[in-house]
This record gives sequence, structure tokens and C-alpha cells, in this order.
Amino acid sequence: MSAALYWLGGGAIAVGVVVTLFRAQWRRGLAVQAVGATVLMVAGIATVATGHTVGAAFTSQLTPRWGVDRLSGLFLATLGLVAAPALAYSSRYLNDSLRGRLVGALTGAFVLAMAGLACARDAITFLGGWELMSLLPAVIILLHRNADSESRRSVFIYLAITHLGGVGTWVAVLLLAHAGAFGTAGVIHYGSGLQIGVAVAALIGMGTKAGVVPLHAWLPRAHPLAPAPVSALMSGVMVKLALYAMIRVFVDWLGVLPTWFGVLVLVVGAVSAVGGITYALFQHELKRLLAMSSIENIGIMVLGLGACLLLRAHDETAWAALALAAALLHMVNHAVFKALLFLCAGSIEQSVGSLELNRLGGLLRRMPWTGLAFVIGAMAIAGLPPLNGFASEWLTLQALLHVAMSGHVGDGAAGDVALAALGATAALAVFCFVKVVGLVLLGPPRRAHVRDAVEVAAPMRAAVAVLAAACVGLGLVPGLLVSRLVAIAPWSGQAPAHAGVSVPGTGSLPTVGIAVVLVAVTVALTLLRGRRVAATAPTWASGQPIVPALAWSTAGFTKPLRLVLEVVLRPRREIDVHTDGGVVTEVAYAGEVPNLIDERIYRPVARWSLAGAARARRLQSGSLGTYVGYLICLVLVVLIAARIGWLG
Amino acid sequence: MTAPAVAGVTVQVIGGLMLSPLLPGLIQHWKARLQGRRGPSPLQPYRELRRLWSKSTVDVAGTTVVYRFAPAVVGACLVAAVGLVPVNAVRTNLGVGRDVIVLVGLLALARFVAAASAWDVANGFSLMGASRDLTMAVFAEATLLLALAVAAVLTGTTNLLGMIAGTAGGGVWSSPALPLGALAFGLVVVAETGRQPFDNPDTHLELTMIHEGPLLEYAGRDLAYLQWATAARHWVVMVLAAQIFLPHPRGVWAQLATLPFVLTLMCGALALVETLLAKMRVLLAPRLLGVAASAALLGVIARGVGGS
Repeated sequence: MSAALYWLGGGAIAVGVVVTLFRAQWRRGLAVQAVGATVLMVAGIATVATGHTVGAAFTSQLTPRWGVDRLSGLFLATLGLVAAPALAYSSRYLNDSLRGRLVGALTGAFVLAMAGLACARDAITFLGGWELMSLLPAVIILLHRNADSESRRSVFIYLAITHLGGVGTWVAVLLLAHAGAFGTAGVIHYGSGLQIGVAVAALIGMGTKAGVVPLHAWLPRAHPLAPAPVSALMSGVMVKLALYAMIRVFVDWLGVLPTWFGVLVLVVGAVSAVGGITYALFQHELKRLLAMSSIENIGIMVLGLGACLLLRAHDETAWAALALAAALLHMVNHAVFKALLFLCAGSIEQSVGSLELNRLGGLLRRMPWTGLAFVIGAMAIAGLPPLNGFASEWLTLQALLHVAMSGHVGDGAAGDVALAALGATAALAVFCFVKVVGLVLLGPPRRAHVRDAVEVAAPMRAAVAVLAAACVGLGLVPGLLVSRLVAIAPWSGQAPAHAGVSVPGTGSLPTVGIAVVLVAVTVALTLLRGRRVAATAPTWASGQPIVPALAWSTAGFTKPLRLVLEVVLRPRREIDVHTDGGVVTEVAYAGEVPNLIDERIYRPVARWSLAGAARARRLQSGSLGTYVGYLICLVLVVLIAARIGWLG
Repeated sequence: MTAPAVAGVTVQVIGGLMLSPLLPGLIQHWKARLQGRRGPSPLQPYRELRRLWSKSTVDVAGTTVVYRFAPAVVGACLVAAVGLVPVNAVRTNLGVGRDVIVLVGLLALARFVAAASAWDVANGFSLMGASRDLTMAVFAEATLLLALAVAAVLTGTTNLLGMIAGTAGGGVWSSPALPLGALAFGLVVVAETGRQPFDNPDTHLELTMIHEGPLLEYAGRDLAYLQWATAARHWVVMVLAAQIFLPHPRGVWAQLATLPFVLTLMCGALALVETLLAKMRVLLAPRLLGVAASAALLGVIARGVGGS
């Protein structure tokens, strides 16, 4: 039954991809794709709920096999949940030019590649899905942007970093298959060189694809350039599949890992979370900001994974399963709200023509549907109760706290620092998304053309409405999902299937109760307030009129934090004051917060590599004589080696 | 429900909802005395609330539902927070659970909504306050979690009832963990209640406002909600400090009986601190919180060293 559903869903997407290519039918093609994605989501939910595996099991043989278990089912369900609205959204977001239709068809192919990766049960299919998943977005970006110089440069960086780092994935997967441990736990021994080698290679390879700091440099460049639905899929699902691979390797196949590796994963997660959201805060372009915040959220998931590894090493299996569930819950939640925010960004871009934060404003009145959905998404991603982001951050914080409680001094301190890092991350996320909501949706319009913005077409509104509803729904009943997620761990933990999350050792998270209290008291206070309003008054700013030129910008709002972190971030700031006879005629201001990792790691490495390449190029002089010389030298060396006896 | 539970919930609800304005009132009163002024009566916050209640609200031109609903949502957050923080270690539940991390989330929601309302009215002074508040919150929230982690590690739970019971009596004070956590939490109390040296609650100069900034455009009952929320925030963090981070008895009745005295003493201490210290530069505040965070981290390590 379930297997048929998976084939039906995948088949429908494949048919939809073909139909999308025809000019007369392309919208219908996208609709068929969206239906296929929905079927995939239903099948995935069924697998997660029942726990029945479908199809083949993992094998270290190199013959193609397909199958779905609970973990794969969860990722397929998430993929369907994001892809269905994104594809429906595409039917109005894209236009019927050949380029638009190709992008629509490739989006479906991208979804299929990701589904294939989640279903792969052998090393070759896995690596094939992995590479396709990396390459298809590159093609889509180049097509969508007509291969302009910015997109070519960004795609080059994207492919270069993901492939250099991706070597780690190949090494890890092939070593596992070689050892016969691809899908089989207990083959590799605790603390053996092979275990460490595979774990480190997987952390580098899959960490690059997930976009953890310092391997993230491609992410904020590639994600904003893609069309909005593809950005939603990239941030919502693609980077999560790297997390899927990490969970497979670290949790399912490698057995118990040494504690230092758990601490390393915690450090990577904490640096990604804090670093990602800090740089997100200083971005002034909406999609770039959202891409940066994806790094933060991946960091939060990696923190959950690290807590899981450490707790498992300390033999606290119940909490280890909960820590894994926290990471997976945040994976689902982030997929939903990040897709929502990217789709809203696409709507705003279509309606206003710009995503420069300082040039928007006042859109909540002009685009009420998109605006309201955006507010819900922003509050969810900021981790505020009673929405879904809070539930997963709550569970992650609890898991980290239990690492701190584990009684071991070093690991406990690491858990405690990670806890503080996640606390700071949550506060920074509130800061960041209040800024976004304020600059995009509230206040007066900051440019004249924003005043004429109108709401987008119905399918685009419906897509964001569905995702916003999912944010609220997942926030109200996270416990139902958590009770299934804890069963994903190979040592199978347990949690009761309530709407809220109640775990021993915590004060429990009664999500419904909190939501009811918040809504009821808000309504009561609003009624009590009554409608006795004095005449409408303008904002009082010491008698000054509020004009766009004086409106607060992103730089102004984040200035206190920028000054506090000046020592670390080293922001650049230039002010040119032109005076004419003692009178200031013109003031030019430019400021930016350069990315430290780019400046301190990537730039020197790129410079050295180019310098090395320039040296190596001298060997390739192009003159025949030199090459003949090389050959003679080679023959001489071989003869000498044979004479001495080196060659046996 | 048992008698201590009924008494506990009664004190929690009546104290949190109705008596909380007394706390800032007492602090202001004593501060004036310490400075040699006669000052307002401790009941002054109630008079202010009554005055605001009978005034009409203001609708700022061009604002949206965010401005309209922000005071009610902030009020709701603090009502939920009051319902969440118990005053003694008796099993009760008011529907919002007893988890301390949920409390952190509720306070963050209130902060988000207040800052969003500042963006809605687009007043530079409001936004200046909001941006400083959010900057400080980054460090305050990390410190708050670390301080709470000390108590959670000592008691093995984040359930507030368990935390109150686990830190009761004199036994826990023999190791340096809880004193270090208390030091950190003390600074968080000052930061969360918006008192000197982090913020000056008496300022009427918009340029120096932090917590008051986003309130500038509100009037009437809206402002009454927001001022009550500030008072309730005093109640929430001071009850936590009294029942977890300061010595408190084991008996559930004794916990109720000592609470008023400890709260009064803390008001006195805050008044003294406000009198002795000037407000520090807003950019230096994170350093002070960093010191507190380090102390709390040391607390967890101390417990690990002592426990293993």
C-alpha cells in the first residue's frame, strides 16, 4: 500500500515534469507535480506514524536498491510538505517563457533527486542522488538568472566548495561500503581508526552540504539567487538532507562515538548557530538574510545531534533519543517556516521589485495575506511560543541541559556553553526577525513605489497560507510528532503521544494550554481596553515630521550590537563629508560587516591556491622541447631505479 | 487540592496579578528616602494605573494591528508568566506548565511584540530603546539560561517546583555552585527589571530610554497594561530569585511565610543599588553580564567537580 503511494507520488512528479515543458499545459504540469508531492508527503507521514519499512533494506553491495524507513519517511514527508506549496506557488511565480517552463520542470527534477537520495539504500544510488541534488540547483540558478556574471561567479563558488568538501562524503560512504558497514551497525569498532576516519570525513563532507560554519561560504551566495520556490526547497530541504546523511552515519551506522567527537559536533553547531544569526542580523537584503539564518538553524539541529552523540556516549539513551528527536523536530519546523519566508520574499519581490530592506516598509497594509503569513513565519523562526519554532528550541535546550547534568566535568561544561550559545542565538533571532518584520511590513513605506504594492495572485497566497497554518499546527501539537521521532533512534526511546511535550525532568511544555492562555488573555484585555480612542494622532517625534529620509534603517537598528561586538566583527565604516566654504554640502556613508570567515580563511586559501597554480603552470610551457626533456628525464629515472633495484 | 496548594495558588495569582505594582512602588519609595527626599508613596503605581485606566487611548496614524494588539499581547505574556512561576513547592498546575525555559520564551515573546510596535509607529526614540533592549537581551538571555542551568543541574530538573524544593534548606549552600548561580541571577534580575546600572526607570529623557522607549506612543489603558507588565516582570524574576537563588525553608507553609519578607528585602537591596550606582554606558552593560555568565558557568563546573 505504502510502496504504491511512493511510486505514485514519484511518478506523478515525473509526469508533471514532462507536462511542464509544454507551453499550453505548463501550469497543469506544475499542478500535477504539486499533487505528486502531496502524495509523497502523505506516504511519508504514514511511514512515520506506523513505522513500517517499505522496500529494500540498506546494503553494502553496489547494486541499486530503494526503500523507506521511518527516518527516510520523515524527510520525504518534509520534502512533500515544502515542495507541494512551492510548486503550486511556481505556477504563478514563473512565467510561460521557455526559461520559466524549464525552471518549473527542473524544480520537479530537483524534488525527485532529493526523494531519490532519501530512498537510496546502497552507496552508488546514494552518491548519485547526492551529486544530482547539488548540480540541479546550479543549473536552475544559471537558467533563472540568464547566466549573468553574478550568478556565474556564485554558482562557481557553490560548486567549488560543495565539491571540494563533498570529497568527504565520498570518502565516508565508500569506506563504509568497503567495510560492509553501509546500513549495518556494529561492524566498525568503537574508537578504531576507521570509525574516526569515517566520522571526520562525513562531518566535513556532509557539513559542507549542510552549510555549517566554516564550510558555509557557498550558502549565502547560492540560495538568494535561485527563484523563490527553489530557494525554499534548497534552504528547507536540501541542506537538511545533509543532516539526514549525518544522522545515518553518526547515529545509525558508526555505533557509539568517542565523547570528543560529540564535543566537536557541539562546537560546530554552536559556532554555526551564533555565527549564522549574527551575520544574518547585519544583512540588508531579505533573501540573503534568510539564507544566513538557515546556517543558524542548521547549527541548532547540529547542536541537537551533538547532544544526542554525547548523551549516548554517557549511556543516557532516553535523553539521547529525545535529543535526536529535538534535532529532527527542528528540521521539520525549519523546513516549514523557512519555505514560508522564502515564498513570502518571492511575493514581495514580484510585487515591489526589490528586497532591499531599507527600501520597503508598510507592506502589511498593502499585502495583508502575505504580510500576516510573513509575521507568523518570522515569529516561528524567532522561536517564540506558541509557534512551532519554540517547541523544537525548547526540546534542544532541554537536551543540552541534560548534557550539562551528565556529571562529567568537561562534557558538562561543553553542554553548558552550548546552552548559553543557543540562548544567545534565540535572542539574536528575535532581534533579527523583529528588524525584518519592522523594515518590510511596518511603518510608512520607505520608497514611493512601495506605496503602490498590491497583493499577489491567489495560488501564491494559498501556498504561504498553507505553510503558515503548518507553523501554527506544528506549534500546537509537537508532542504527537515527538512521540514518533524518539522511535527513530536505533535504541528506540519513548515519549507519550500528547499534544504537548511532557518529559520527566522538565516542567513539560503544554503547548495547547499556553496558546489558550495567551489568546484568551489577549482577547480579554482587548475587550477591556474598549474603543475609547481619542482623535487619531501622528507619531510624536519631538515635533519632527516622520519622512522617509529620516526613517530608521537596518544599520541604525543594529548599531548597538555592532558596537558591542566591534572587537570581534571588525565592521567597516566610511563617511565622506564634503564641505563647501565651511558648509556641509554632501555626506556619503558606507558601512558593512564583512564576513570574517570569508576574509580570514577563504580569501587567503584562494590566493595561495592561485599563486600555486601560477607556479605549476610554468611546467606547462607549451614548447615541444620541454616535453621531450620531461620524457627523457622520466626514462632516465626509471632506468636508474631499475638498475638500483627499486623496481624489483 | 490540599491546603498548601490552595494557599500557594492564591498567593501566586493575587500576588502576581494585583500586588506586583507594589514592588516597583516600594523600590521608588525607598530610593527617594535613601536620597534624602520624601518621595512618592509605595502605592504610587496603583494611582498611576487608576489614572491611566480612565483616560482614552491614542490611535497613531498609519499603524496596523501590531500597534493595536501589542499591549494586550505583552499583558497576556506576563499573565502566563505569573501563572507559570509558583511561590512554593506544592504540586499545582495552572495550565501553562511549570517549566522555566517556557518562561524564557514568554519573556522573549513580550520583547518581540514591544519592539515590533516600535517599528509600527516608526518613532526613532522608540526604536532606539527597542534596539538597545534587544542588544542587552542577547547577553541577558544567555546569562539567564546559564544561571538557571546551575539550579537545574543541582536539582536535576527544569520543573520550577522541583527547583524550589531542591534548593531549599541549607545543604545546597555548602558547595560554591549555587552562590555563583545566585550572583549571575542577581544581575539578570537587575537587567530584566530595567533598573540601574542597566537602565534608568526614572528617566524622562527619550534619548536615554531603554525599556521605556517602545512605550512612548501609548496612552490610556494600553499604557496601563504595559506598566502593569513591567511590574509583573519584577514579580516573576524576584519570586524566582527568592525561592531558588536565595536561602529558603523546606516547609511549603514556611516558604509562603518568608516570601513577603524576602521580597521586601530585595526591594530594599535594589533601591540601595540604584542609589549607589549610576547608569553605566549601554555598550558596557554586556561586559557586566559576561562576568555574570562566567560566574554561572563556573557554578556548573564546580558542581561537576564536586559531584564526580
